[in-house]
Amino acid sequence: MSARTGRYLYAVARGITSNDLTGVTGLRDRPVRGVDHQGLTAVISDVDLDEFGTEGLRRNLEDLDWLEEVARTHHAVVRAVAALAPAAPLRLATIYVDDDALRNRLDEWRDALLRALDRIEGRMEWSVKAFAPADEPEPSPPDATAGEGAGAAYLRRRKAAVERQRAAGDESAALADHLHLELSRHAAASRRLAPQDRKLSGHEGTMTLNGAYLVATADVEEFLATARELDRSHPEARINLQGPWPPYSFATLEDP
Amino acid sequence: MTQQPDLLAEPSPAAQPVALVDLLDRLLGVGVVLAGDITISLAEVDLVRIKLHALIASVQPGMVE
Repeated sequence: MSARTGRYLYAVARGITSNDLTGVTGLRDRPVRGVDHQGLTAVISDVDLDEFGTEGLRRNLEDLDWLEEVARTHHAVVRAVAALAPAAPLRLATIYVDDDALRNRLDEWRDALLRALDRIEGRMEWSVKAFAPADEPEPSPPDATAGEGAGAAYLRRRKAAVERQRAAGDESAALADHLHLELSRHAAASRRLAPQDRKLSGHEGTMTLNGAYLVATADVEEFLATARELDRSHPEARINLQGPWPPYSFATLEDP
Repeated sequence: MTQQPDLLAEPSPAAQPVALVDLLDRLLGVGVVLAGDITISLAEVDLVRIKLHALIASVQPGMVE
């Protein structure tokens, strides 16, 4: 079968034309181009459907190296576009068979896309995570030679440890709520993403907050100062700040 | 696996690599959802994550479950 190509959509931008994308490189080193349609520009590059079709995606998404390379290229293109103009980044792997199919979709979603672009214009996304310390180790059970009463004492110790852990969990959840509330005061919008799996992120302790904050350029200094102050005043938690990101978490077409 | 950078620890935004897990949080979880001609459903994305766990566990044998 000859290699049929599709259009991989990275982002939809406003206020640029396809010419502005000259020199941006996309997946598999193919040039990125824009499909201009009624004031919106779809940022795309061609991909082989052998690799990015239904079958190819199903196979390739299970390959961590493939996934990482595609995710990093997608991100690089989105960043390049977001530096030029308001751009609503797409999720990974949105593919159309041709430009007409893409234009139809832009027509269908036009109002929602314009609302999303209004929401993110002049704003960037920041990530703040909080981690509670790791749980204390379980008390060890008494060995068989231990005297009378050792079993009961162990059960009491274990019960106390479980209760301390529950109290610590409540406290770190309350702190996460507090951090989120304080940070949200300096953000145009905010949302809490699902805490990451330790097996994926390799972090220590328990992730209690995985927050995304949409911050206007003019408010960034204040937002960062707030994050630093919260970090200083809460030594019991580890706080991680990253950004700025393109506004991935705030360009969804549903109401945020 | 790229460690998660932290601006509170090291305020040099330009030099920070992005951890894959942070990228996937956003590229799989949020972002504009426009149905394409070829899309992966959310169910399949969950599947991807589960497979990722297995993959990472297999390449990092020292990592505790």
